[in-house]
Amino acid sequence: MRLDLINTTAFRLSVGYTLLVTLAVAVTLGSAYLLTESLITDEVDLIIDSELKSLEEKYARSGLPGVTDEINLRIDSWGRIGAVYMVADSNFERIAGNVTNWPFDGMPTEARPEFEIATIEPGRRAVHPVRAAVRTLPGGDLLLVGTDISQGRRFAEKFRFATLWGIGLSTLAAALAGFWFSYRLARRVDEVTRTCQRIMAGDLGSRLPVAGAKDEFDSLARSVNRVLDRLEEQAGTLRATFDSAAHDLRAPLHRLRTRMDALLLRAPPLEPAVHESVESALHEVDRLQRTLGTLLQIALAESGTPLAAPAAVEVGELAAELVELFEPVAGSQGVALACRHEPQALVQGNRQLLAQLLTNLIENGLKYVPRGGAIEVVVQRLSDCVRLTVSDNGPGIAADDRARAVQPFVRIGHGKQEGSGLGLSLVAAIARLHRGRLQLESNEPGLRVVVDLPF
Amino acid sequence: MHVLLIEDDTEAARFLVKGLRESGYSVDHAADGREGLFRATEGQFDLVVTDRMLPHIDGLAIIELMRRKGIATPVLVLSALGSVDDRIRGLKAGGDDYLTKPFAFAELLARIEALLRRHSSSTQTTRLKVEDLEFDLLARRVTRGGREVELTARELKLLEFLMRRAGQVVTRTMLLEGVWDLHFDPQSNLIDVHISRLRQAIDRGTDHPLIHTVRGSGYVLRSEA
Repeated sequence: MRLDLINTTAFRLSVGYTLLVTLAVAVTLGSAYLLTESLITDEVDLIIDSELKSLEEKYARSGLPGVTDEINLRIDSWGRIGAVYMVADSNFERIAGNVTNWPFDGMPTEARPEFEIATIEPGRRAVHPVRAAVRTLPGGDLLLVGTDISQGRRFAEKFRFATLWGIGLSTLAAALAGFWFSYRLARRVDEVTRTCQRIMAGDLGSRLPVAGAKDEFDSLARSVNRVLDRLEEQAGTLRATFDSAAHDLRAPLHRLRTRMDALLLRAPPLEPAVHESVESALHEVDRLQRTLGTLLQIALAESGTPLAAPAAVEVGELAAELVELFEPVAGSQGVALACRHEPQALVQGNRQLLAQLLTNLIENGLKYVPRGGAIEVVVQRLSDCVRLTVSDNGPGIAADDRARAVQPFVRIGHGKQEGSGLGLSLVAAIARLHRGRLQLESNEPGLRVVVDLPF
Repeated sequence: MHVLLIEDDTEAARFLVKGLRESGYSVDHAADGREGLFRATEGQFDLVVTDRMLPHIDGLAIIELMRRKGIATPVLVLSALGSVDDRIRGLKAGGDDYLTKPFAFAELLARIEALLRRHSSSTQTTRLKVEDLEFDLLARRVTRGGREVELTARELKLLEFLMRRAGQVVTRTMLLEGVWDLHFDPQSNLIDVHISRLRQAIDRGTDHPLIHTVRGSGYVLRSEA
């Protein structure tokens, strides 16, 4: 049996678990990223605002020249790193600052416009993103204060990169762990399932494997094994009980029969009348023995005592052979007995017991179907079992009586019929022993007995 | 013919010993497993009939020990345990035949006879002949007095079984086991109908029938000389 991992609960759980981990990591890292990013821009904006405020105050105190002086001073001195300043007239012509041209198309509409400036750094040309704010001074000139945000951008980019890798890697790790976990779980459950199937197939000595890991599986396995020990012990006791019951009942029957046999074989023959009554008593002994044998067989089959040596049985061929065996008797009763069977109707089981099952069903039919009637035995190979159907057009069994009919010693219908009343019980017991299912249906008219035997 | 009977049920044993002696066998009786094993391994017997459940040593154990010592004497197992599985176990242990108690004495006699004959004549034959009835086993052709007899595959098997045991009583149970491989007794008189069909094919139109009914036992195929 191949391990069908996708359909296991563990696999579904681990898929769910992986999705949950991915979501959790994505939410955590994503919100951290967004928070950090907004924290960086907030800080930049705060600096820009405070510089704008101080420059506006400077303007209020000493006019445009004061502002340009202040800007030039700030540019020349080791001021803030990445600071960008510009004062332009109303036509956007530069008056002062470290930006050569007005970076916008006229007045920017946003509160915090962003633009890029190209700088010549030793050996390379670099483009720096700048975040800025613009104020119109009372004289109509324009004041621009900005900050190089390339550092922040780089940081954000790295953060994003780390976030995406973090999500990816944790998803992968969760998926791998989940797969491993579900595989191990499924394998252990599979071992249990397989062992149970072996036990059901009759290997009562089989036990669940104990890995020695002291985990919940081991404790489950140990508990199940204890149950199996008990079952095996009980089956053994039951078997011993049946054996001694069989022995203790058969032995006296045997002595009785031997004595009667000896009487019949006596040197001076018995008087014909005595001979006859001894013979009919012998007949009763045989009937008693047959009933006893059937009862013991039912009891054994019902006790769950496994088949000693299950083998592949071709049910179709077996049915054909039995129909052939019974056909002359059916013919002499004026009953048509026929068989249809599909090839490869193989079942693991006991040929003798399955033959007994078929025999009982056919004999049952022959007992009830009147002259001119018909009995048909059909063997089909279904997807998961072999279906054996014995149908007739006799009187059938009323729907209410069908469940009762398989109980021991229950005879349905005409009381005149001879029989132990155990035939269908034995059929049911043999079907159960083969993990099969027995159903009585109406054949409209007549009786249809359906036995499904799993492969 | 020397038969060893291992049976702890003394009353049943007494009748069996008497019956077998009356049928012309010389019989030794062992009343428990230990004595039975000793006799079976030390003495010279043509056949051992042993009970399945015995004091001290089980019947199947006796067979296993006999076989391990290289003693090939045929063994017939009598058992009060009648399940199919038990039968399989009995035959696996090395028993040659298995009979469930209670059985008819005639059944026991027929089986003893069959086991003794099987042991003495197990040669490869391709042709069976009883009087003017001939069976070509390779071509699966049967002729009676030179005239071909049409038989079904099952009838051929049935006839072969009877001819291989010509002169021996064959019971209905033996036929069910040997020809149909069924080890239980169906209730109807199935075998009688099959035999009468075979009889129709073989014996019709001849003044000396070959298939005879043995009252209380079964059938025998032999030339009535």
